[in-house]
Amino acid sequence: MIGVDVGGTFTDVVAIRNGQVEVTKVPSSRVDPAGSVIEGARRLGVEGSAVFNHASTMGLNAVLERRLPKVAFLTTEGFRDVLDRGSVHRPLDAQTDPAWRRTFGDAAKPLVPRYLRRGIVERKTAEGGTLIPLDEAQARHELGILGRCGVEGVAICLINAYVDDEHELRLRELVREVLGNEVQVSISSATSPLAKEYERASTTVIDVIMKLLFTGYATEINSDLVGLGFTGQLNFADCAANLLPWEEALERPFRILFAGPAAGTVSSGHLGAAIGRPNLLCADVGGTSTDVSIIVGGAPFVQNTFEIEHDLIINALSTEVSSVGAGGGSLVTVASSGGILVGPGSAGAEPGPACYGRGGTQPTVTDAALLIGILDGEGFAGGAIALDRGAAERAFESLDSPVSFDERVRTAYRLAAAHMAEEILNVAVRHGVDIRDFSLMAYGAAGGMLLPSVLDLLPLREIIIPPHPGLFSALGLLSADQVYYESESAYVVFSGTSAAEIDAVYSVMEERLRERLGEAANGLPVRRSFDGRLVGQSWETPFVQIPDGPITSESMTQVVETFHDAYELRNGNRFDSFPVEGVTYRVELVVPAEKVAYTPAGQVEAFAAVPEGTLTLRYLFDEPVSAEWFHRKNLSPGATVAGPAVIREELSTTFVASGQLARVGLCGEILITSGSEE
Amino acid sequence: MHTFPRPQSQRLYVDREAVQDAQCPECKGSTIRAYRVLSEGGWWHVTKCQDCLNSLERSPASPLGSFVPLGSTV
Repeated sequence: MIGVDVGGTFTDVVAIRNGQVEVTKVPSSRVDPAGSVIEGARRLGVEGSAVFNHASTMGLNAVLERRLPKVAFLTTEGFRDVLDRGSVHRPLDAQTDPAWRRTFGDAAKPLVPRYLRRGIVERKTAEGGTLIPLDEAQARHELGILGRCGVEGVAICLINAYVDDEHELRLRELVREVLGNEVQVSISSATSPLAKEYERASTTVIDVIMKLLFTGYATEINSDLVGLGFTGQLNFADCAANLLPWEEALERPFRILFAGPAAGTVSSGHLGAAIGRPNLLCADVGGTSTDVSIIVGGAPFVQNTFEIEHDLIINALSTEVSSVGAGGGSLVTVASSGGILVGPGSAGAEPGPACYGRGGTQPTVTDAALLIGILDGEGFAGGAIALDRGAAERAFESLDSPVSFDERVRTAYRLAAAHMAEEILNVAVRHGVDIRDFSLMAYGAAGGMLLPSVLDLLPLREIIIPPHPGLFSALGLLSADQVYYESESAYVVFSGTSAAEIDAVYSVMEERLRERLGEAANGLPVRRSFDGRLVGQSWETPFVQIPDGPITSESMTQVVETFHDAYELRNGNRFDSFPVEGVTYRVELVVPAEKVAYTPAGQVEAFAAVPEGTLTLRYLFDEPVSAEWFHRKNLSPGATVAGPAVIREELSTTFVASGQLARVGLCGEILITSGSEE
Repeated sequence: MHTFPRPQSQRLYVDREAVQDAQCPECKGSTIRAYRVLSEGGWWHVTKCQDCLNSLERSPASPLGSFVPLGSTV
């Protein structure tokens, strides 16, 4: 099994053979992104591998930075500015700001410039009939203009096409006829046949952009892997880290826009299940930011839409991940008051922290960790980078602040941990959970260096440093199943008389799903859910479960009851007397995949680990403090380490703070708790 | 009190001045016109291709044209 996580800076490649984990890191390339993936595959070898699972944030980064191909948008005449207005929601801090603009609006950076958004004379009714026939001559005229403009892709989203796709299908034929087969086309009724025209439109535009970005990329990777002797299945991970065969992913590639952070959450859930921790907060500390997610009862919190930027909504199932601008590369700066600030600016991969010696002059959190003594100047990143302590000192000295040097370093480290603690608490509060029942899974190369300090700020149950924390997200790609799903919209008020209509919607989708999978679907159950609302509401309560078996007037009573239960759980209120209206219906089929195995060692007694040596920790305390350091590969299950101590491994470092106790768990994870005893 | 007479034309419109020897870089059209539009951010002077509506130029315009009220400069 091989998993590849393509990040903005590095491409992490993980292979598991005979229970052994092999890893490599390759610098990511913007010019030749497939080249980095293939280089990683070549280093580890792909012959005999059953799967090659791929996740990347390439699509998301292209959208955020607007490095986009030239695409056009066709919609019903009079609606072309739907992409400019969005859903008209303003963020709270922009409510009274007249200068605020949508990031994707025409006054900022639109995904499709206004002249490439063209209205087509046609109109379908909400019931599915034709109000205005498609004017083919006018459509051909508009397509002729788009052809002269040299568009590479066309997104088509007509009003009410989720009910009746006749005009969209014909328009797609006209695009092929006028612009040729080289131009990529996405139609909303095939991409995301859901109600609400803005979300449908933005999803369709992203879909055609992803087709242009990923079609050549995925084909190249597949053929190069075959050239290396790979005979298994190439899968792409979607926004919830579910795996899709690459040909299937390319049919609706908006789903693979953003996969890396979700893979970390899936990885956490998989390890959590092995070590008996169903309730987890997950924090992935990267160079620029920390991504926080939550797992309750073993299940990640999945949402039915995903916001790329404020109000830039995609109808993709995605794991909820929130970010804070604090990571290993976060810049340490001086506030106008003279105090020390950390983030949200980052030194990035180039030049990187000052101690990398690549020309960076501003201090970062990594520089602080080096000066404190947590990081090893010689053995950093497996010895690949020699850290320059002098450069880190000069960077902190250069800050124009009345704060003493010791205080600058101490504040930089503690403030970074405080920012992360704040976001972790925000996520917990938003989900209404008591963090005393939750363990924090700390990963990312800088996770172990910073997150144990969060234990001094939040009453978490414990901190868990998983095996291979620097590659834990990539390991998540080897912890996921293949998930196929279909969804459709229809506004139906639930009652005994509407049971047949609802049953028909599910039957059609289930049949389509099983047809798509063929024999692979035999014997596997289909999970059904819907997004519903109380009649009169304009927003939905998602993922309400539908019981197995035919939907009858009797089972509708149970469905309505289940909706009210889900509504109460989510909102804290219950309105039994209000009728329920279904909006979006979803079927999901999970094909189990081979996963990385965490095999617990037998029960062992706790014992004090033998240190490799001692080091001096500076700046964190009033006086320098001596601490022991350990190498993780020499720590077996049951080994305990009392803080302050440093545990080093090839691609990561864990800092056990003063007063904390670390114990190696049965699967090789490090469990850090407050106090000397659990 | 009305400062201007009632317009004689059935609809109000802005005159679009033809721009000679210009070509749209996007669709290669040659029907280029210059006029004012009211858009997000206020009034704009635009030079647009009349085929594909791509803007060749777009610059902020005074809401009252060449007339600059004394108060706006104080």
